[in-house]
Amino acid sequence: MKKSQSSAIRFGPVLKVFFLCFLIAGSAVGYVWQKSQIFQLGREIRQREIQLSQLASENQKLTDQLAILRSPMVLDQRERQLNLGLAPAQPGQVFRLPEPVLAPPNAVPARQLAQRQEAVPLTQ
Amino acid sequence: MINRLQLKRALLLLIFLSAAFAGLGYRLVDLQVLRHDELSRLEQDNTQREFWQAPRRGNILDTHGNFLAMSVPVKTVCADPSLIGNQQAAVARALAPLLGVPEADLYQKLFPRVSRNDKGELVTNNLHYVRLQRDVSDDTWQKIRDTMNRMDFGIDGTPSRAERQFLHNLRADAIFAEPDEMRVYPNGSLAAQVLGFSSEQDIKMDDHVFSQIVGRDGIELALNSKLSGVAGWRVTDTDRAQQELVALRDENVEPRDGLNVVLTIDSVIQDIVETSLAKAMKEHTPHSITGIVIRPSTGEVLAMATLPSYDPNHPDTITPETRDRCITDVMEPGSTFKIVVVSGALNEGVVRLNDTFDCEHGHFAYAGRILHDAEPHGILTTEGVITESSNIGAAKIGIKLGEDLLYDYAADYGFGERTGIPLPGEVSGILHPVKDWSKISIAQIPMGHGVAVTRLQMVMAMAALANHGWLMRPMLVKSLTDRDGNVVEQYAPQQVRQVVSEATDKEMIEALKTVVTPEGTAPGAAMKDYVVAGKTGTAQKVENGVYVTGKYEASFIGFFPADNPQVCISIVMDEPREGYYGGLVCGPVFKEVAERCASYLNIPPDQHLPPQPNPLQLVQATRVHNNPNMP
Repeated sequence: MKKSQSSAIRFGPVLKVFFLCFLIAGSAVGYVWQKSQIFQLGREIRQREIQLSQLASENQKLTDQLAILRSPMVLDQRERQLNLGLAPAQPGQVFRLPEPVLAPPNAVPARQLAQRQEAVPLTQ
Repeated sequence: MINRLQLKRALLLLIFLSAAFAGLGYRLVDLQVLRHDELSRLEQDNTQREFWQAPRRGNILDTHGNFLAMSVPVKTVCADPSLIGNQQAAVARALAPLLGVPEADLYQKLFPRVSRNDKGELVTNNLHYVRLQRDVSDDTWQKIRDTMNRMDFGIDGTPSRAERQFLHNLRADAIFAEPDEMRVYPNGSLAAQVLGFSSEQDIKMDDHVFSQIVGRDGIELALNSKLSGVAGWRVTDTDRAQQELVALRDENVEPRDGLNVVLTIDSVIQDIVETSLAKAMKEHTPHSITGIVIRPSTGEVLAMATLPSYDPNHPDTITPETRDRCITDVMEPGSTFKIVVVSGALNEGVVRLNDTFDCEHGHFAYAGRILHDAEPHGILTTEGVITESSNIGAAKIGIKLGEDLLYDYAADYGFGERTGIPLPGEVSGILHPVKDWSKISIAQIPMGHGVAVTRLQMVMAMAALANHGWLMRPMLVKSLTDRDGNVVEQYAPQQVRQVVSEATDKEMIEALKTVVTPEGTAPGAAMKDYVVAGKTGTAQKVENGVYVTGKYEASFIGFFPADNPQVCISIVMDEPREGYYGGLVCGPVFKEVAERCASYLNIPPDQHLPPQPNPLQLVQATRVHNNPNMP
């Protein structure tokens, strides 16, 4: 009985050993995979950083270009190039509408005055 | 049983192994402990790299945010001569036109060179790094890359492995670019003296040379520390291909970009002033001409120009003649200085506006000297002294005011001290203390002789009269902003002191209004739609302590609308030809600048208003126009 028992395959220890080996090998592979991922992601980070820097630089360049194109000096030059005949209005050409004169308070009917009590007083 | 021989062999093996392990152990201790520092340094040198991250220099903007100076990213093209082999001639021939450098110079640069360091030792730093050209645009750099990739360098057929490696290194790594920036002034010479200029300066760090832009004059110099920013750095490991290993990055400090400087200068007004000055320069061919526009209520400098000028994009055009004369040069102000003595005398109650003075028909003997007027005058009121710009009248008012008070008022107006404008090179002018005055000084100084002022001091004094008697500090910098436009620091107008009372100020303005009337000295400065107050000045130039005949400094300083001043303008010409009186030569320039400024700033006219339509009629007309039932 003892003999037959000793010759039989004992799955428990085998499984344990197998599990242990798997754990060690898995840890090693995981470690290597993790390291590889770190470097792979590092490369990607670096590429994205470069891309971000290029985009920021391009964005800055375009912003600067837009600002220059919108500057009065450039617009003036462009107007002259295209000969559009545009010029700032001279003071004599500007019509200024006089501010409406408010009627004196005593001329306002009482009913309207009551309605305006909440309003902010107008000043000239 | 183990026999003796076996034991002996085992012992020998043990000794041998022990010795081997002892040797290995010693080596381990030697490498890890004894030579740790040395080897650690070596390891770091092999893998660790330090990258300097340059900050971007801040821009200079006008009051509306328009660019006056900006930094543009460019490349500095470099070469690694050790990778070029014997292909210097081919590379030089291909790249010289793209880099804009002579082929022969480029050819010489591509050879590895050995140089001596500070200690006189031979070093081979130039084996791997030589700078070929700065300020290369991205487009040009791309062309350089394409050119290098297309070249076959005379290698025909199937190249060997060594040749392939050489070609790869030559094409990919022999010519490389470093990020850099270039200072650009998009408006050319506009406000050149205010902005100043900059240049690149090399900074040596760990055997590597970096270039940085530094201000050399103007705002570029005065606010260099704010504009420059702070450099960042990165300490990291690299692999064999010199690619950064981000996971092993030790330190990463981002650079802090320089701040943008927002000036009070308005580029449109600056352009108005500069074009008007250029026109006057052509007409009167003076040595120089300056124009300053100030907002009296705040002291903001809206424009400040000097001709001849220069283009800061090309610093080689800078000469001593192109200096900022508004603040660096002094001159005898001439009659514009009469505002000091007359306003002082009115403020002290020594004279009133309608008091009369005998102007001696143009000849007045005082302290052994004879004072003259440009034109003889008889009896003039105080106002008339300003209107006709009588030297004798001003001298008599000065005598009535007295030396001490005259000095006090001149000092209160800011003469004899720097205005404090944030620009390098400002001088304080000359206002001698009373103890150093001669007997004639009290008669000469009121007419603007015996004192030396800067053009900025003079316009600030006039601006004080346009600001209820309050002298303001000239304000050139409005704010500092970061890259995103957020305000980091805001500057407020600064009052220096009230020089004269408001009542005196009103009287002075009434007197100054008469200067541009047909009876005054500057009818040419009168504007169509605005009442102008101002003063002319014509001062004989002093050379080697002697007044020179035929050489004058002509000026006109005025403000408008006289009763609600919005801008104060100064025009000064040095040795004008085709006339030399301030009112005659500078008055019309003032008028042109003032009218264009009024139009641009939309200043409501205060005289000769065009017939305004009746608002009721306008409303009716609008209703008629909007009525869909009407044809």
